[in-house]
Amino acid sequence: MIRYIARRLILLGPLLLGITFVSWAAIQLAPGSSDYFQSLVLQYPQISPQRIAALRAEFGMDQPPLVQYLHWLWSIVHLNFGYSFAYNVPVAWLIGSRALNTLLLSVTSLVVAWALALPLGIYSAVHQYSALDGALSAAAFVAISVPSFFSALLLLYAAFWTHLLPLQGLTSVDFDFLPWWDKILDVARHLVLPTIALGVFSVGGLMRYMRTNLLDVLRSDYLQTARAKGLPERAVIFRHGVRNAINPLVTLFGFELGGLLSGAAFVENVLGYPGLGRLVLEAVLKRDVFVVMGSLLMGSVLLILGNLTADIMLAYVDPRIRYD
Amino acid sequence: MSQDAAAAPRVSASPERAGRSRTPLQLAWRRLRRYRLAVVGGVTLVCLYAAMVLAPFLAPYALDYSDRSLFYAPPVGVHLIDARGRLHLRPFVYAYRVVDASLPAYAPDTSRTYDIRFFVHGAPYRLLWLVPSDIHLLGVDSPARLFLLGTDQFGRDLLSRLLYGSAVSLLIGILVVLITFPIGMILGGIAGYYGGIIDNVIMRSVEVLAAFPSFYLLLTLASVLPPTLSSGARLFMISAVFSFVGWGGLARVLRGIVLGIRDVEFVLAARAAGLPDLRVIVRHVLPTTASYVIVAATLTIPGVILGESGLSFLGLGVQEPSTSWGLLLAQAQSIEALTQFPWLLIPGLLIVIAVLAFNFLGDGVRDALDPRQRVA
Amino acid sequence: MRGSALIALVTLVAAAFGLPGVGAATAPHPSLPGLPDPKVMTGQPGRYGGVFLDSQQSDPSTFNPILANSTSSTGPLANVFDGLVEANGKTTDIEPGLAESWTVSKDGRTWTFTLRQGLQWADGAPVTADDVLFTFQVVYDKRIPNSAADVLKVAGQPIEVTKVNARTVQFHTAEPFGPFLREIGNASLIPQHVLRKAYDAGQFNQTWGVNTPPSQIVGTGPYKITEYRPAQRIVYDRNPHYWKVDMRGQRLPYIDHIVLTIVPNQNALRLLFQGGQADSYGVRPAEYAEFARGARAGNYTVYDGGPSFGSEFLTFNQNTASGMPGYKLRWFQAQKFRQAVSYAIDRQAIINQVYAGHAVPEYGPESPADKFFFDPHTMQYPYNLQKAAAVLAEAGFKKGTDGVLRDADGHAVQFVITTNADNPDRVAIGNIIRQDLTALGMQVTFAPEAFNTLVAKLTDSFKWEALVLGLTGGIEPADGQNVWKSSGSLHMWYPRQAKPATPWEAEIDRYFDLAATTVDQNRRRDYYNQWQEIVAEQVPLIYTAIPHAYVAVRNKFGNIEFTAFGGPFWNFPVIYIK
Repeated sequence: MIRYIARRLILLGPLLLGITFVSWAAIQLAPGSSDYFQSLVLQYPQISPQRIAALRAEFGMDQPPLVQYLHWLWSIVHLNFGYSFAYNVPVAWLIGSRALNTLLLSVTSLVVAWALALPLGIYSAVHQYSALDGALSAAAFVAISVPSFFSALLLLYAAFWTHLLPLQGLTSVDFDFLPWWDKILDVARHLVLPTIALGVFSVGGLMRYMRTNLLDVLRSDYLQTARAKGLPERAVIFRHGVRNAINPLVTLFGFELGGLLSGAAFVENVLGYPGLGRLVLEAVLKRDVFVVMGSLLMGSVLLILGNLTADIMLAYVDPRIRYD
Repeated sequence: MSQDAAAAPRVSASPERAGRSRTPLQLAWRRLRRYRLAVVGGVTLVCLYAAMVLAPFLAPYALDYSDRSLFYAPPVGVHLIDARGRLHLRPFVYAYRVVDASLPAYAPDTSRTYDIRFFVHGAPYRLLWLVPSDIHLLGVDSPARLFLLGTDQFGRDLLSRLLYGSAVSLLIGILVVLITFPIGMILGGIAGYYGGIIDNVIMRSVEVLAAFPSFYLLLTLASVLPPTLSSGARLFMISAVFSFVGWGGLARVLRGIVLGIRDVEFVLAARAAGLPDLRVIVRHVLPTTASYVIVAATLTIPGVILGESGLSFLGLGVQEPSTSWGLLLAQAQSIEALTQFPWLLIPGLLIVIAVLAFNFLGDGVRDALDPRQRVA
Repeated sequence: MRGSALIALVTLVAAAFGLPGVGAATAPHPSLPGLPDPKVMTGQPGRYGGVFLDSQQSDPSTFNPILANSTSSTGPLANVFDGLVEANGKTTDIEPGLAESWTVSKDGRTWTFTLRQGLQWADGAPVTADDVLFTFQVVYDKRIPNSAADVLKVAGQPIEVTKVNARTVQFHTAEPFGPFLREIGNASLIPQHVLRKAYDAGQFNQTWGVNTPPSQIVGTGPYKITEYRPAQRIVYDRNPHYWKVDMRGQRLPYIDHIVLTIVPNQNALRLLFQGGQADSYGVRPAEYAEFARGARAGNYTVYDGGPSFGSEFLTFNQNTASGMPGYKLRWFQAQKFRQAVSYAIDRQAIINQVYAGHAVPEYGPESPADKFFFDPHTMQYPYNLQKAAAVLAEAGFKKGTDGVLRDADGHAVQFVITTNADNPDRVAIGNIIRQDLTALGMQVTFAPEAFNTLVAKLTDSFKWEALVLGLTGGIEPADGQNVWKSSGSLHMWYPRQAKPATPWEAEIDRYFDLAATTVDQNRRRDYYNQWQEIVAEQVPLIYTAIPHAYVAVRNKFGNIEFTAFGGPFWNFPVIYIK
């Protein structure tokens, strides 16, 4: 097990190298497109070409692309993510100021989605073809068929008309003056909308998976044996069925994390959540290269670690799986 | 984005009732029930694709037609009884009357009725780029307008634009499948069949791709597309971007399947017969993965449709004057749209319907092809 | 309009000759301990306290006023920093700011400013002439890319700044400099005692970034930043050392805190206002009718600022380096061709569809919002397809029986209009123009594209044919010299010319240079009138329509004096919460 984890961690290096190279290449691909500095001239007509060239040189962007990449790589090795063109502050600070918020939202939605999806999926499987199963299945199908920006928009307007929940941000204006329990409550209230918008999509998918897996397990021979031994149906379902049905879902965990990071970009933009997605979208559009690279790297590391965690968890919950 | 999320076989009765006998009628009812949603999905898709092909004929107006005086006009009312209470045999509409151009507000001008006519001559077009014609299914005489779903900011007919835009939304999924699947199948097949270094190289590149937050990669790639592309080429490039991001998952699964069967007798036999490797892979190994591939294909398409709508929503997808459902929906992202011009949300509804239909169909196909679940 | 222009003129001239204290008309003159001569702001006596809820789209990119160059950064800093002089939001005149008075020498090249006595930075340190010297040393430092340096150059030379005594500084320009006062006011004073160390260490470009603890950011403005949460909000507290007082001599500002909420899009700004979490909202013309209807229920007032400064235009590429075939270049270089296009644009349709009727047609480069420099007598191009066709015929273009317009050599008139796809107004205008030109028989493709691509074409590859674009303008035409002078890098139709390609471009260059080196505002206006008339005749930029600016403001404030130039909050320090 330890050897397996060590091998995966060693592989991380080349993997990240590949990822950063592909991202860099993707950014350089843009034919006939301006860089960040060129577009300053429209934002600020008085700026002279000399100023633009000076700015570009300051960030080392007057070098050939490959040299730029190697420079960047060299500083990454020293844990220096470079400076943002647009903000003139270290990229690490920019990402750091938002990464925690995105993580908070992702984890909350993940927990909520699983907490909702598992019981609903179990109910659906156990009461297959009941009216409620039909309704839940239909709802799950609709949930996975609505674009996340669309559901976020609709939620935003719902919150606007009902005046029940805050529309924007993560904290209230008077956050700093609140006692600690009100702070928690305040953040929780702000999290409701983005969590629903982001979680709903996962709930639909997870629920369908849980239902299918449980149905498969319930039909399996060993459960028939358990039944034949005279175990009560409740015990059959929960002690044997559900435990075995959950195992394959664990692999989904890593995949889910990546999906949430992507989905968060839309939700953050529509609901004004102060996360990484907003930063990345803005940086991509402005061609703030180091910020894009840094965030991609961050996202990839998160995703890989998520996958690794899932694999390790799987080894623990499923005794049949052995790495090496 | 959702291709894997729709695993839902409609399987047999729940176990506690499995032993009981059933009348033939009950069995038939259950079989019908099992595939009903898939049939609904399939029929919906046939209708959508038929409408896409016949778009120029079905659309009352051309893609680019606009009536400048009637921007943000609500859907026209189709009537049978006129303002004086007389019943008409033909359905008719009233012309719009501008009440306040700055809101804008319109009312029907009930002084005259305009019959809806069938097979009218209108803007010329070529059906399937071949058959020239100028016959449109429906039309009304000027100055009345047949804006059945209202108009957008420029006074363009939403129904016509939905019909024309369906080409992008409905074809992009298929295009992506056509690009992704051969690549994914061949690479997955090769990796599984040969193993060793080849396997390692292919699987590591798959991991690089899988380790990207795919949406950010999509965003980056889409934002570097050359803008001078024609709308057709752009559609193809966007498909290529989706394919680049998407082929890895398929290759990985196929590799696993191939790994499991490469030492099965019929493969060994084919190899022993001296067939070249590629032929063995394509002719004998890959066909065994067909059922998985078909299901995966049906469930990939809705994900791509959602992805395209997201890109267009952010302004990185298809661009004016050609259109897609995602781009049409992007017009509805302001509050005015929701409160004053709610008909602009219809493209969103169509996206949901198309994705839902593909998911239903994929679900049914999965059931039908999965041998484990063939329980009468 | 004439009347107000005249008043503006008189006061501008007065200001130019150093008559101080325009705002301080009331006697007796109030004073504060340690600050004998504060600036007095007129208005009802107000109440202290309360919070102003502000909002803006996107984060500031820096807290360093010298490096800030986009509105998302300059906006949040406007309350924190001041210049030597400032523009009055009502009269648009230049008034004393940190400097209580100034004089100009006879040759118009030496300006002497005297700072108010007892001025303090927000941390209590005194403001001295050394701070002024330091500010301009930074501005003119070649290692520090800032926008003020480009504007504050006269005949290519930096302005010389010298210290006379602790409260007096002298500015010396190589030639007389017309826009001197306005431009000098735009330069925010920065504290030497805080920033000198970083500057000497070559770290200035990294100082006062958005990662700086807010308490380190020290200005002279009415507020200081106390908290910044990225992508969420900026919080301000009142500056206890501010140098303005109300008419009773009480120190301003009245309002204790400002909370500036940062949101990702226009939609969110609007929701924030309607949900009561912001006190003002820039109403788009298309939303005006709806907002006006909801004013009573929402307890707000919608102010009509009249025509705004920015506007959208169509322009054709006249650059010989554009790689276009020669015949195309000849169409676009033909004045008649451009005039015909201008006649063919249905500006009323643009006004109706894009701006919901709340806009005025525009034909020249200066907005009527600029009451002083706007020239109402320029050539106009009302929508007239016959006229357009006639003008085209004069230039040898003919419409064939197939409906296709061809030039004298038989080339079909075919071109591509582009714009940036992320701006819905421009996309809409482009669509309308395309349809209008199609009616003349031109075969026009409209292909909006990504902003970055457009910029690259505009400034680098020049491979474009026609484009729809907009620039935000201001009150001072000299700020547009990068656009209008033939050597300018934003002289879009043919940038960075070694020498003017056409006689009319040479004329414009001449008038811009003349106006820049003239201090007499009256004569400057004559020069700029000439420029406006040339542009309207030659139509290198074909203007469309200029929308009205509306602002909705919650009815909870006292002393609001809305003007088109200054908006509702130009006198923010005296505004109080009722």
